[in-house]
Amino acid sequence: MERRIRFRLNGEWVEVTVKPNELLLNVLREKFGLTGPKYACGIGECGACTVLVDGEPVLACLTLAVDVDGRDVVTIEGLARDGELHPLQKAFLEHGAIQCGYCIPGFIMVAKRLLEENPYPSEEEIREYIRGNICRCTGYVNIVKAIKAAAESLRAGSSSHT
Amino acid sequence: MVKTVVIKPKVDINKVNTHILPVDFEYYEPRTLRELVELLDKLGPSAKILAGGTDLLVQIKQRAVEPKYVVNIKKVRELDFIEDRGDYLAIGAVTRLRAIEKNSLIAEKFTALHEAVRAMAGVQIRNMATIGGNLCNASPAADTAPPLMVFDAELKIVGPGYEKVIPITQFFKGPKKTVLKYNEVLAEIRIPYPKPPTGSAFIKIARTAMDLAKVNVAVALRVDEDDYIRWIRVTLGSVAPTPVRARSVEEELIDKRFSEEIVRKASRLVVNDISPITDIRSTAEYRREVSKVIVRDALLIAYKRVRGV
Amino acid sequence: MSKIILPKRLEKYRYIGKNTIRHDGIAKVTGKLKYAYDIYLPGMLYGRILKSPYPHARVKKIDTSEAEKMGAVVVTFKDVPRKKFNIRLVSVDEVNYKDWEVLTDHPKFVGEYIAAVAAETEELAQKALEAIKIEWEVYEPLLDPLESMTPGKPKIHDKILFGQREVEVKNNIACTKEYVEGDPDRAFKEADIVIERVFKTNRRYHMQLEPKVAVVRPEPDGGVTIWTTTQTIHNTKILVSQVFDIPMSKVNVIKLPIGGSFGSSIQTNLVVLVAVALALKARRPVRIALTREEDILDHHSYQMIFKVRVAAKKDGTIIAGELENIMDIGAHQIQAYPLLGTALGWFVSLYKWKNIRYKGIAVYTNKTPSCAFRGYGNPQVTWAVETVIDELAEKLGIDPLELRLKNYVGRGDIFWGQGPTVKSVIRSDGVPELIRKGAELIGWDKRPKPGSQKGRYRRGIGVARGFHTSGAGGPLSGEVIDYTGAIIKVNEDGTIDYITALQDHGGGTLDAHAKIIAEELGVPLKSINIVWADTRTTLYDVCTHASRGVYVGGEAARRAARIVKQKLLEYAARILGDIATPEGLRIEPDEELGQGVIYVEGSPEKRITVGEVARIAWQRNWGSIAAAVSYRSYAAPPAFTVYFVEVEVDTETGIVRPVRVVAGADIGTVVNPDLAAGQIHGGFAQGWGMATLEDLPYDPETGELMNRGFITDYKVVTAPDMPKLDDFIVIFADTEEPTGPLGAKGIGEAAKNPVAAAVANAIYNAIGVRFYELPITPEKILKALKEKGEIKE
Repeated sequence: MERRIRFRLNGEWVEVTVKPNELLLNVLREKFGLTGPKYACGIGECGACTVLVDGEPVLACLTLAVDVDGRDVVTIEGLARDGELHPLQKAFLEHGAIQCGYCIPGFIMVAKRLLEENPYPSEEEIREYIRGNICRCTGYVNIVKAIKAAAESLRAGSSSHT
Repeated sequence: MVKTVVIKPKVDINKVNTHILPVDFEYYEPRTLRELVELLDKLGPSAKILAGGTDLLVQIKQRAVEPKYVVNIKKVRELDFIEDRGDYLAIGAVTRLRAIEKNSLIAEKFTALHEAVRAMAGVQIRNMATIGGNLCNASPAADTAPPLMVFDAELKIVGPGYEKVIPITQFFKGPKKTVLKYNEVLAEIRIPYPKPPTGSAFIKIARTAMDLAKVNVAVALRVDEDDYIRWIRVTLGSVAPTPVRARSVEEELIDKRFSEEIVRKASRLVVNDISPITDIRSTAEYRREVSKVIVRDALLIAYKRVRGV
Repeated sequence: MSKIILPKRLEKYRYIGKNTIRHDGIAKVTGKLKYAYDIYLPGMLYGRILKSPYPHARVKKIDTSEAEKMGAVVVTFKDVPRKKFNIRLVSVDEVNYKDWEVLTDHPKFVGEYIAAVAAETEELAQKALEAIKIEWEVYEPLLDPLESMTPGKPKIHDKILFGQREVEVKNNIACTKEYVEGDPDRAFKEADIVIERVFKTNRRYHMQLEPKVAVVRPEPDGGVTIWTTTQTIHNTKILVSQVFDIPMSKVNVIKLPIGGSFGSSIQTNLVVLVAVALALKARRPVRIALTREEDILDHHSYQMIFKVRVAAKKDGTIIAGELENIMDIGAHQIQAYPLLGTALGWFVSLYKWKNIRYKGIAVYTNKTPSCAFRGYGNPQVTWAVETVIDELAEKLGIDPLELRLKNYVGRGDIFWGQGPTVKSVIRSDGVPELIRKGAELIGWDKRPKPGSQKGRYRRGIGVARGFHTSGAGGPLSGEVIDYTGAIIKVNEDGTIDYITALQDHGGGTLDAHAKIIAEELGVPLKSINIVWADTRTTLYDVCTHASRGVYVGGEAARRAARIVKQKLLEYAARILGDIATPEGLRIEPDEELGQGVIYVEGSPEKRITVGEVARIAWQRNWGSIAAAVSYRSYAAPPAFTVYFVEVEVDTETGIVRPVRVVAGADIGTVVNPDLAAGQIHGGFAQGWGMATLEDLPYDPETGELMNRGFITDYKVVTAPDMPKLDDFIVIFADTEEPTGPLGAKGIGEAAKNPVAAAVANAIYNAIGVRFYELPITPEKILKALKEKGEIKE
């Protein structure tokens, strides 16, 4: 019962054959070598596997690969463009928001959508938006700070990203 | 010295594997409701409906279910809508929680439902999970159930060659159990618009901001110009095998003049309507105590909303 | 924005005390960094482990034929070396208790490894695993340490090794330690006040984001190459060599970033040994990645039951302290024995008890083995002691801050944080400064009287102080291995490679090293390359643990840098000509050139870049400019922390919320301010979880975890559960540690140790109720308030 699926992955159309019980996370990691999305709980509790499907953050560990047939998938690897980091990536670097770094791809993918939906998020709105992502190192302080800073820099239009 | 005993582990740790879906299944993607129902009828009880996947896929990983067939319901576009139908609002069963959360009509008219959805999981799960899935999974802690119950929601169920509409209060049969037969589908949720001025509220008590409820409550009430309570609904989750109406509280308050004192008193009666247990999330005693508190808090908030303050 | 208060002194440095972009940052934000979990090798098999579903059992029969028929490679306890070992090699061999096997037919906790399979895909491996048939004999489990140590109970272990000697385990007591100093009995008689309390801590799970993983490639020479989640590549190499009798030169462990650890990989995770066994048998690379539900069965914190007894005079002079420490260590020893000593060390180094009695008992239970978890028993001891000190202050009518200042172990005192075999004298101490500044910022004077408030929401302010060692060095060799190695070499263009086995868990340890090197050498930070190395190309480092990364590793790096600098100056003097002595030369970084520039003091026109020196040394065959240093510290100074926490208790739901935090840290010279503050932030979050949230109860019927291994029911804090940015202030003390690299000490564990105590004291201040069992959940708070008559029906 293998299926051929075709989807846009980080801007490029790709094709792959999958079984119906294959998870998007494993297909991305093992068939496309995209190990940015992480396994950390497998049951939707931690957000480490977050990717964007049709622009919305979802959990790749609970998404069937067959379910993204024809859709648009973006992983952390697809965020920087032409060697230029996304303002969120820059802000995470500049605000000490990264410690072990394992959770960071998930946080950045969620935060990207937050700032698209809400360019002026309050601190509380940021915290609520990232509550599905666990970080065990930072206590979230510098992560929240970085997202705030990225929002400012996006608003200031200091980047060509949209 | 060493005694041999018989132990029945509650989980087979060698079968659980959350890296993968450790079960082979056949996969179907019907495009219409009719096709879906026919398929379910044909496949029989070993088929499982996949909606958001945030419950079903977890259960498969945990080997709580091992479906032979998985039927993806999300491609049935006719089940994905939020529609104003005059007397009532209709929500298609595969509508994502996030769409409900963002819907301004729901936020305004069914505030408790809006708040319940907002309090659920993280944004990723809300982008994936559907309202139908939340109801059909029939967790006693399901956050969408209490608000839908206070608004007297009805559920449209479609089976092979028939459809029926039942009140949501008849839907749940116990933890993980609903009235749905294997060849029936929850197609839509209908929520009648409450007569103004109605206010509602939802409160959830949990361990962290990203958690299932230890207890949750939704309330809605309408008061007349003289502050007499003319209509009231109180429903709690996670304190009984299914979400429950707190009829003792409702009966105590109906046609009474609203006051903080009377609400405080009436809220204590909630213990007559619930039968909480002790589990890993909380204790029966705590659930009983806190039910009283959040019923009262929610009623006070809902009243303020009626009065627009 | 969350404030960080830094001492002015740091301004004299160029890189130290400045925020910089971490060296692995871009790889981390772009998702390109490969953790062990991201390693997939060509021709690799996927491994799965068969685990005991019973807390105590014996395998009577095992049939793997079905699994093998499916094409899987299978190993069982019959296929691995049957020797006992300890998975942690930090203690010297003669005091190392050994009770582990790679795979066993006698599992002693739910989750213990029996057999393993490897197959082409994880799905196939899973199917093969399920095809293995086992006949079990199941025994009654012992889940409670107090019951387990009662005479006449079933034996969990019979004979184990202590060093090379076989010893019998009696009454399931793994090991004990006792200590007496002075005359405690007399002191307790002479005391004006005695307080005695019993405390019970919680069983916690590290919940590091990356579950344990091992990828092992067998090599044609009979050796193995290993990629794994570890805090110590060298001890992993040594253990694999010892268990499988492979020469150490043929075991190569690759250094990789690790997705959090917090102590859970001080020991070699057993999965490594299982993967080695599979790979050797399969003759193909094998990857075993634990799932989260397997990982949570692999390592927990030590759950401790304390009896604390304290004696004091009316004027607040403490005259005696007693600690009884019963530790539930689970089914195997990882570092129970050294911890018995270390727990004593934490106790005696908190306050000057003068007369001391200690009794420590480590008890086996049929539960997941306990290991260090950020603080290594210190958060537990500090919670108990700082609660008692708070009570003592109240009883004596003395300000809790004053009582602490009067009695704490500080400058000039002997410190033995890591236990009786690791002692040194305290040379730097920022406690008074942190207490003074913290009290001012939190508004200590305005805090309410305990239990004086009415109303639903009550706020309270609590304080607790503590410390952690920086490493486990000392003047004597002791029972702990603690040394490290650093190699620095100048490339032929003047860029610098820094090579160390020491792991950075994410705290920025290696960035700190690079700053120390840059500062010492006088070269731009960006000219230093931190090399991803392996055991073959590095000198021995014991482990990144005990908050030693910056303090010990940084000093090794500094010493290597000093040697390299000397060589550079000598060569420069040779090139520049007519230089009297190299001592007259200086190096300063030129950021534009990306190079250090060497010049003659007073005659800056006489100059040459480091790159030019390196190039000439190469072209003229002078040899490499490099240094290799193996270093042990002769001290293990305490990093002190003082936490002021304000909480709000909802007395109707029992829910506690952190309102404000003022965290003071004396870590000597602050090398990476944002990341050092990050340690505090993260330490607070973990400490808050310990105080209010985290626990791992067992099912008394089945010996399984009540949460069945799923973190749905092991909650850790999320972003909305933490205080607002503006309400979290971090103060760094103005101190300099004479034995540390450019004055630096450790921080990782000190950042967490007093948190639970400060939170508990704040809850007391808010509602007037003390709790002696962690976590302090809303359920317990509500129950206590009800018993106190605060909740009316």
